[in-house]
Amino acid sequence: MAEADREIIKPEMMKSYIWLQTSDGSLQQVEQEVAVFCPFICHEMHSGMGSSKTYPISLPSRVSPAMLSLILDYCRFHQVPGRSNKERKSFDEKFIRMDTKRLCELTSAADSLQLKPLVDLTSRALARMIEGKTPEEIRDIFHLPDDLTEEEKLEPIKNTIDDPRIRLLNRLYARKRKELKERERLKNVEAEEECVDERSVEDLLSFINGGDADSKGVKTSKNKKKNRRRKDPQKNTSSNDTWTSNSTSSSGNAADKKESNGLDSICHEHDAAARDDLLSNLGKSLKLPNIDDSFAPDDEFDAGDLDDDIDPAMKEKIDREVEDFARRLNSDWPDRMQEILSLGQERKRILTANTCNGSLRRYARLDQQQK
Amino acid sequence: MSSMKQWEPPKVPCKSEMEVDNITNLPEHVIDKILSHLSLRDAVRTSVLSSKWRYKWNTLPHLVFDNQSVLVSSQDQTLVKNKLVHIVDHVLLLHSGPIQKFKLSHRDLQGVSDIDKWILFLSRGALKEFVLEIWKGHRYKLPSSIYFCQNLIHLELFNCLLRPPATFAGFKNLKSIDLQHITMDQNAFEYLISSCPLLERLTLMNFDGFTNLNIHAPNLLFFDIGGVFANVNFQDTFQLAVVSIGLYSNMGFDRNLPFGSASNLIKFFGHLPRIQRLEVQSYFLKYLTAGKVPRRLPTPCIELSFLSLRINFSDLDESLAALCLLRSSPNLHELEMLARPEEQNAARVSANIVEEGYENCPFNQLRFVKIAGISGLRQELNFIKFLLANSPVLEKMTVKPSSTDGGWELLKELMKELLRFCRASVQAQIIYLDP
Repeated sequence: MAEADREIIKPEMMKSYIWLQTSDGSLQQVEQEVAVFCPFICHEMHSGMGSSKTYPISLPSRVSPAMLSLILDYCRFHQVPGRSNKERKSFDEKFIRMDTKRLCELTSAADSLQLKPLVDLTSRALARMIEGKTPEEIRDIFHLPDDLTEEEKLEPIKNTIDDPRIRLLNRLYARKRKELKERERLKNVEAEEECVDERSVEDLLSFINGGDADSKGVKTSKNKKKNRRRKDPQKNTSSNDTWTSNSTSSSGNAADKKESNGLDSICHEHDAAARDDLLSNLGKSLKLPNIDDSFAPDDEFDAGDLDDDIDPAMKEKIDREVEDFARRLNSDWPDRMQEILSLGQERKRILTANTCNGSLRRYARLDQQQK
Repeated sequence: MSSMKQWEPPKVPCKSEMEVDNITNLPEHVIDKILSHLSLRDAVRTSVLSSKWRYKWNTLPHLVFDNQSVLVSSQDQTLVKNKLVHIVDHVLLLHSGPIQKFKLSHRDLQGVSDIDKWILFLSRGALKEFVLEIWKGHRYKLPSSIYFCQNLIHLELFNCLLRPPATFAGFKNLKSIDLQHITMDQNAFEYLISSCPLLERLTLMNFDGFTNLNIHAPNLLFFDIGGVFANVNFQDTFQLAVVSIGLYSNMGFDRNLPFGSASNLIKFFGHLPRIQRLEVQSYFLKYLTAGKVPRRLPTPCIELSFLSLRINFSDLDESLAALCLLRSSPNLHELEMLARPEEQNAARVSANIVEEGYENCPFNQLRFVKIAGISGLRQELNFIKFLLANSPVLEKMTVKPSSTDGGWELLKELMKELLRFCRASVQAQIIYLDP
């Protein structure tokens, strides 16, 4: 009764209050002019709620009493029309000085009350906390679980690691794992799939270039990717100072055309050129972006591709292989190049899928026999 | 409204209440808002924070590719281009949801054909803001797909060539255009302006291909132009409130217009009834003097509260035009008169505007005056005297001479005169600033 009377009378001198109820059930009486600064409360009021204790406005669950009092402080300051922009700004700056937990809760509460200026303010504050920090620091601040697998973390979308060798190793690592996965899969694949191997030498050489090329000459569903990507290295071969993968494929091209003749002379010729290139390129970080070009469609923004769970034993094996691989890259590249070239040549005739190391050695020997 | 769990079940046992992750479960639009305050680079880097954060950046509605968001440190143009193209391609591919704003403004990028691809992609979505700044190389010719982005609200181009196709029907939602260093032909320009019914802001700097500015835009509020043009015609721009015009070269106007037509002053202000702020820069005041300069405008600019004039005080016509303007602006609140330094020998040097030129003309609202670049000439002093005598509520006048080349004597005279002038306003401060 008393409330109804109050509604009808509404003297200008007396401030009107409205009733708010938070998710925990507690009621609060707030000056109307302050509360209607929140669009949510304003709408509820227009549909008739909040004028009495029995019909309070139920606030969304994300608004706890503590957050509500903060929000009301904000509203109380800003709803006064006469304040200058400078005053408002300085109030805002002091207002958001709180720990991150409360800041997140406040953002959430303000968003549920549709109080856009406060959401903007808190988002900007949260953005400032994220800006310029390393992932570890950010995880620390916001208590985020560190639950990405190593590979996912090693392949940041914008490459922040600058050391070219580390980047190279990361890529090799990823690629190696993919190869192993493929190998597992292919053990169950029908043999007929590999019978007609009409791919050129470049295809086979692409286990150096390509991110997902299978090192064995077996046709898999991944062929399409390989072919497409190889167009890039081939395009770049016009300039001779490109990365090794490009030069190998170029030599591969030449080899392909002249395969009926002896491969040897061409091998040597390209070897010399390639060797110089390779050794000089390994050191230059500038060249590595070309790797990115040829690898990257898979690796840089790789989402689900590397999300495989490999058991620890396999992982160790992979680690060892990668180390092996990397070491060989750094030290005996020229020899390796020769092996690879001859491997390519041999692959045309021999149709088996074997482990990498063993077959290479065998092919080399076979090649020597041919000479 | 989604209900948010207050606390995520902690992944590691024995985590105290204070170490709970509160941010990951904020609603998507809030996360977008947070990420949009970061550079694109930082936003994309959040994908390595945790498994839930891997794709949070994908729904960013604003994509900005500039030197901060994309770090490519190299002088090799091909390298930069490849890397940049790569990155944009990838971001666009991985992105999901509407792209509302796209800005490409990398200092090392020239106009490459990949931009055409991206524009085509964006035009199929709901693009609202498009900013393209080509900092190196030739004017980049925009593909036709940009002209069919019907949701476009803001278009900003730098160093581009615009050639809309014949089927171009205007931007029905465009409110703001900013064109700088562009090439376009006359008809295309006029059609562009007139076919955007909601256009409110127009900025045009350094353009070629057209010299007549026929502005047909009934909703235009803001107009900022700087370049070389032969004439400017406002048609039905009755809402225009803020105008800033700079004519960058002295076109050498014929004092007597052929048909004895109305002076440029009258023509110019004829369609600007609601003008509030006006900046007349470079040689535009000279342009306004063509035709017979009237004593005052037919209709006063009653809403004009800020006026800034770049003027050559020694030029009689310009001084008359300035006086005409001043007389027609009874509610002027703030005035700037900046001397154009290079011209000391104008065609008709005014020895002295006769005293009637400066009769009583009260500026009842004028509070702030700034005079700059003067060198102590008689005409300049006359103006100052005129203003001081007619501004009863003047609060502050700052006078700053141009850098002296040994004209100390003249400046001393200037200062002495300033002190002597009688002031209509008791609280007027005259502040002399060093050159």
